[in-house]
Amino acid sequence: MKIIIAGSGEVGFHLAKLLSFESQDIILIDVNRESLIYASTHLDIRVVRGNATSISVLKDAQVSDADLFISVTSSETTNITACVLAKQLGVKHTIARISNTEFIHNKDEVGFEKIGIDELISPESLAAKEIELLLNQSAFNDTFEFEDGALLMIGLILSRTTEFVGKTVQEVAELYPNLEYMPIAIQRYATQYTIIPRGDTQFKEGDQVYFTTTQKGIDEIYKLTRKVRIEIKNVMILGASNIGSKTARDLCNHGFKIKLIEKNKDKAFDIADAIPDCLVIHGDGRDVDLLDEEQICDMDAFIAVTGNSETNIMSCLVAKSKGVKKTIALVENMDYFQLSHSIGIDTLINKKLLAANNIFRYIRQGEIVAMTKLNNMNAEILEFLVTPKSVVCNKLVKKIDFPRSAIIGGIIRDGEGMIALGDFNIIAGDRVVVCCLPQSIKKVEKLFV
Amino acid sequence: MSSFVKLNFKIIFHLMGLLIMVNGGFMLLATLVSFYYKDGVEKEMLEAGLVTLLIGLILMLLTRNKRKELQKRDGYVIVTFGWIFMSLAGTLPYLFTDSIPSFTDAFFETMSGYTTTGASILNDIEIIPKGVLFWRSITHWIGGMGIIVLAIAILPLLGIGGMELFAAEAPGPSNDKLHPRITDTAKRLWLIYVGYTLAETILLKVAGMTLFDAVNHSLSTLSTGGFSTKNSSIAFWNDQPIIQYIIILFMFLAGTNFVLSYFAFKTRFSKILKDEEFKFYIFSIVIFTIMASIMIYFQTDVSRSSFSHPMVWGKFESSFRHSAFQIIAIITTTGFVSADYTLWTPFLTVFFFGLMFLGGSAGSTAGGVKIVRHIILIKNGWTEFRRTLHPRAILPVRYNTKAVHQPIVFNILGFFILYLLSFIVGVLVFSLLGLDFQTALGGAVSSLGNVGPALGDLGPGYNYSGLSNAAKWWSAFLMLIGRLELFTVLILLTPYFWRNR
Repeated sequence: MKIIIAGSGEVGFHLAKLLSFESQDIILIDVNRESLIYASTHLDIRVVRGNATSISVLKDAQVSDADLFISVTSSETTNITACVLAKQLGVKHTIARISNTEFIHNKDEVGFEKIGIDELISPESLAAKEIELLLNQSAFNDTFEFEDGALLMIGLILSRTTEFVGKTVQEVAELYPNLEYMPIAIQRYATQYTIIPRGDTQFKEGDQVYFTTTQKGIDEIYKLTRKVRIEIKNVMILGASNIGSKTARDLCNHGFKIKLIEKNKDKAFDIADAIPDCLVIHGDGRDVDLLDEEQICDMDAFIAVTGNSETNIMSCLVAKSKGVKKTIALVENMDYFQLSHSIGIDTLINKKLLAANNIFRYIRQGEIVAMTKLNNMNAEILEFLVTPKSVVCNKLVKKIDFPRSAIIGGIIRDGEGMIALGDFNIIAGDRVVVCCLPQSIKKVEKLFV
Repeated sequence: MSSFVKLNFKIIFHLMGLLIMVNGGFMLLATLVSFYYKDGVEKEMLEAGLVTLLIGLILMLLTRNKRKELQKRDGYVIVTFGWIFMSLAGTLPYLFTDSIPSFTDAFFETMSGYTTTGASILNDIEIIPKGVLFWRSITHWIGGMGIIVLAIAILPLLGIGGMELFAAEAPGPSNDKLHPRITDTAKRLWLIYVGYTLAETILLKVAGMTLFDAVNHSLSTLSTGGFSTKNSSIAFWNDQPIIQYIIILFMFLAGTNFVLSYFAFKTRFSKILKDEEFKFYIFSIVIFTIMASIMIYFQTDVSRSSFSHPMVWGKFESSFRHSAFQIIAIITTTGFVSADYTLWTPFLTVFFFGLMFLGGSAGSTAGGVKIVRHIILIKNGWTEFRRTLHPRAILPVRYNTKAVHQPIVFNILGFFILYLLSFIVGVLVFSLLGLDFQTALGGAVSSLGNVGPALGDLGPGYNYSGLSNAAKWWSAFLMLIGRLELFTVLILLTPYFWRNR
């Protein structure tokens, strides 16, 4: 598959990195020579220097025989123009990154597909959505919804009190036969290996475990893990960035009580103007006195989304020390991920990962409907649509020749999520959620083609 | 001399000449009325008109080679002296016809006309020739027209008293632009103004007034002035409720922002219903009217009043009508009189004194503090409580759901404090000139707010003729500064204005 990525910024580089690992044919376009040199020395890709809106540059990148054109420069007008041009020059599919969410809301009215843009991606609004989801499932540190919540993926850390610590998957299944959930990935404490659990895999204290579950199963998981669903009402947000303001607006609309701290006075005023229900504080979020003054100890959640990863991590640590139950930090630097988890920040979000995950599904073969990558883990979660021609169609789950490093997490049939055990029959039209390690992705894809 | 600021005197005088010419034109119109009714002063009116035209013409010719550039400073001078020159020229019909022989009295009457105050020094209005009475009403009408332009176009440019907030043409937070060009806007609003005047004239005529009375009362209703052609003002028609209801309706319209009237004609009603100032305006009128009607109905002995109250439609209707009429007349600063509110109950007397501070809507012809400023002040005061709890929070005052920038709030706070100071100084000077406590209080607030009737010796049953000459000049000065939103006039009295630094 030939993919052209315009913009070698954070999102572009990350995408190029992920895609090149899968030995896709990548061409990266950017005006910045240094970032191109960096990309070409670190990744196995071709680079073209120039403006993505220049026709000669696009021709130089052989846009006419490319399958996918992804424009992820920081300027949304450039992205839109580049996508329109690329489409006219013959690329099959285009994706533009935008920052103004108005475009997404009025997508049909404006008709972006008609002018040649197939998909609009806004990392900021994805992040805002993710934050809201995380607040609603406050006991978990990672969540993902398939089909508007018909099937959920949740991630949590097992504490000592959890009933199934020390038991194997098999034993747990025998103890609780009617469970509505399925463990799909485990990462042992302080390791970086991802394990796809089989019957004999043991749950241990400190494991980061991912489950797929239905809405009913969530309450059971709460019960078994002895985690308490924290009712989140008061939320403090640090930074009125695009993500911060979008999150504040969404949360205000859903009845949360929001305090937003912003350093820039004009920005603070604008946001106070735009969101009347939100209490906007003008000040530096690293100022502990300010946080005390605004009763950080009474907050149920603290969300740090300034442009600076270090500020976000540090202020989340402060919030944690003041007794805030749920902290979420926006961290752009991937190297901090592991570290931040071990020093106690509940949840990290990353715009790049979110955007990349969202874009990734377009390059998968088979009928992929949705996909995500697990934070800081090696596994990918894919949602396939089963067609009559698929290998798995009309087969029992146990009869399918599934690779050992992949697992079926659940199935959505007619909008209803269900957990698939061995004697479950897959039929055409089902949406199958699969968790797999990178080495088996190709094999899994073939099963659903 | 070089340290003084250089004003463009030529264009200032040129514009003064133009205003005086316009004045002269209207005087000729009044002359026509004189001729029509053969009131015996046709020749004098004609002379007054021609002299005024001549003065204006000479001024314009002398300054015809002017530079066209205008500075902000020139703007203040033009607005203030425009009103003063108009008032000076406007005295001529009174002086020439000997209707008001004293210059002080004539100037007071004209200033009261142009500032749409409606305070009069005439003891017997009904003996004044019809042409002169028409001139007296037309001064109101011109003044009202001037105020619309001032509020919509000039004050926002000069940045006075937070007017940029609610003026339709102003750049900034309120952006419901009526029409991009100021002259176009002014023309549209004048059209509404003229249209309302015609409509009211026709309705009053149909309801039973004479044509002359109908025209005069329409002219002074729409400008929220208050000059009447009858000694007992609107109380003359206390036996004809319909006439009074028509006047109530048009006083209400005149006290509403004319931009909203424009929206109404464009059938954009949602804009009107969303307007905070309008909601506050209508809501306070309804509440106050209900309250006052109940008090009048149960507690007031109307026979004490110098006005007759026939109660043709029963006591309850009469209480309601007079309550509504007086409340709207005071809030819109029209100052027509249908009943003597100082004789109702002690509470209502004090209450009406308070109402004189309220003022109508911004962008109307009403005077006073204006409702929008009260809204901002109240909201700012309320937000102050939250600010104490969250010292570093950004808590803007919201008006029409938009956040108001702090400088505008300060501007309005400054305006209000200056208004109160002017009131206090006004009262002090009046008392120095020998007025008793109640009369001094009422006279100051009424002059400053361009209401007309006040309290005590200046109450609805009396007039301003009893004041000394000095008190008349002081009252005229208060009318002028109140009408021109304080800053416009008072800035001319500051040394900064004249220094070129």
